[in-house]
Amino acid sequence: MPGGSTAVSATAGHRQSALSLHQIVALLMVASLLVSVAKRSFAADNDQGAQLAATCAACHRLDGHDRGIPSIVGLSEEQFVTVMRAFKSGERSGPIMRTMARSLSNEEIATLARYFAARGKETQRR
Amino acid sequence: MTCWTRRQFSCLAGAMCIGALRPQAARGQAKARIIVIGGGVGGATAAKYLALGSEALHVTLVEPKARYTTCFFSNLYLAGLRSLESLTHGYETLAQRYGVNVVHDAVTAIDPLAKNVSLEGGAQLSYDRVVLAPGIAFRAGVIDGYDDAAMQIMPHAWTAGPQTELLRQQLESMADGGVFVLVAPPDPFRCPPGPYERASLIAYYFKQYKPRAKILILDAKDSFFAQDVFEDGWNRHYPGMIEWLPGQFTGGIRAVDVKGRLIKTAADTFKADVANVIPAQEAGRLAQQTRLVDQSGWCPIDPMTFESKLQPGIHVIGDAAKAGNMAKSAFASNSQAKVCAFAILAALTGSERFAPHLFNTCFTLLAADDAVTSAISYNADPETIKVNDFFLSKVGDNAEARREAVREADGWYAAFTHDIFG
Repeated sequence: MPGGSTAVSATAGHRQSALSLHQIVALLMVASLLVSVAKRSFAADNDQGAQLAATCAACHRLDGHDRGIPSIVGLSEEQFVTVMRAFKSGERSGPIMRTMARSLSNEEIATLARYFAARGKETQRR
Repeated sequence: MTCWTRRQFSCLAGAMCIGALRPQAARGQAKARIIVIGGGVGGATAAKYLALGSEALHVTLVEPKARYTTCFFSNLYLAGLRSLESLTHGYETLAQRYGVNVVHDAVTAIDPLAKNVSLEGGAQLSYDRVVLAPGIAFRAGVIDGYDDAAMQIMPHAWTAGPQTELLRQQLESMADGGVFVLVAPPDPFRCPPGPYERASLIAYYFKQYKPRAKILILDAKDSFFAQDVFEDGWNRHYPGMIEWLPGQFTGGIRAVDVKGRLIKTAADTFKADVANVIPAQEAGRLAQQTRLVDQSGWCPIDPMTFESKLQPGIHVIGDAAKAGNMAKSAFASNSQAKVCAFAILAALTGSERFAPHLFNTCFTLLAADDAVTSAISYNADPETIKVNDFFLSKVGDNAEARREAVREADGWYAAFTHDIFG
């Protein structure tokens, strides 16, 4: 089990031990309802986001380190889309990023923006 | 904090973890077994992304060596700009963080009918899918006399490690005023700018320590990647030091005489003080042995999945794959490994498939403060892979942009090797 996930599970375990059994059951029922409604579109978006982000990971470290190549985790959706559109149009210089941005559709850029914004929030919670 | 795909996303809240358990795992079904063969850039990337992508897969990586030295950036070691240790990576993180079963052994055979892999140590592993990343082999008999023994006198240094160290030692021992001969291979070969970056960075070393030395490139080809950019760099940084002779001049490289350190072309014989012979290449031996290659010597694949067109259930990635117009490079191998991993995940776990994205980027150093870059995006269709968009640095770029590219190259190496091994 990767380190990051283990850390989240451990925190959840502490929280659960402070709740009564009824509260836990109620929480789980609500959670599973939410999951069943949201899971399909949420997971699909995340799968595509994760797959597209894998391309970015060949140059950008996704753990906050940014030696030589800027970090992209934690940009807001709006910031990410603005920057990528600027690369795509040539308004912003950077030939590697221009080539990359031009290979992505606007929908793919939006998916990546949501993915990295969510990852940024998640990193901040730790 | 580096886990960042589906597993982590489905566990953003503790309670959601319970609802998001994968059906395969919940029902306790046997996990699909993937064997990744070869722990270079392609193999290690594929193993990591397969293991990250689903807990319903059991991923084994088979690689004989405990540590891997990257061929990319090994020219910087030859120039004295990096240590070999800084280019060497282990598999501990793949095993410990991602749960990849790393087996340090050599594969002796793949049986595509019985679907098993035999190891030198005697074990036999069954598989549902194989990802083969065998790298390159050298074509036998193209240069007469260039055999395994000759490689210890005239190193190829085209797989990094002891060969690279040997070449560096020979360059250090060479007298000022000596001649270094580099034999460059015919297309296609691993890392198109590589031989010419090597000449540039060895010239960088000579300029400091052996300023009267000469470099002679004997090429099998009549032109090479980014030739004008390299020649401009040679004229600016090392005037008169590097001479390049094309195939049409030499008539091709025919033979070597290791005792005399002689290189014989169709037209002439050249005496070297240090010789670096990079021979003609083909897919790695295991690919040949498993009948994954066609007449070209490389492995035809389905561009959408990298599954072999000759042996179903075996995917071939990296330099060995015949991937349309994609360059044979570490970056391309990493990109192919991800497309391949996502295709296998879709086939075996039912995850959704999206359009593949294939990309290649190169940072090439002409001197310690002068790097050029290239970037290529590709379109894959079921038939082939074609260049979609292309960028390459140009003669006359401003010097600051070239210095900035050196800094980017350094950051890229750190990020890229983290993506593969970290």
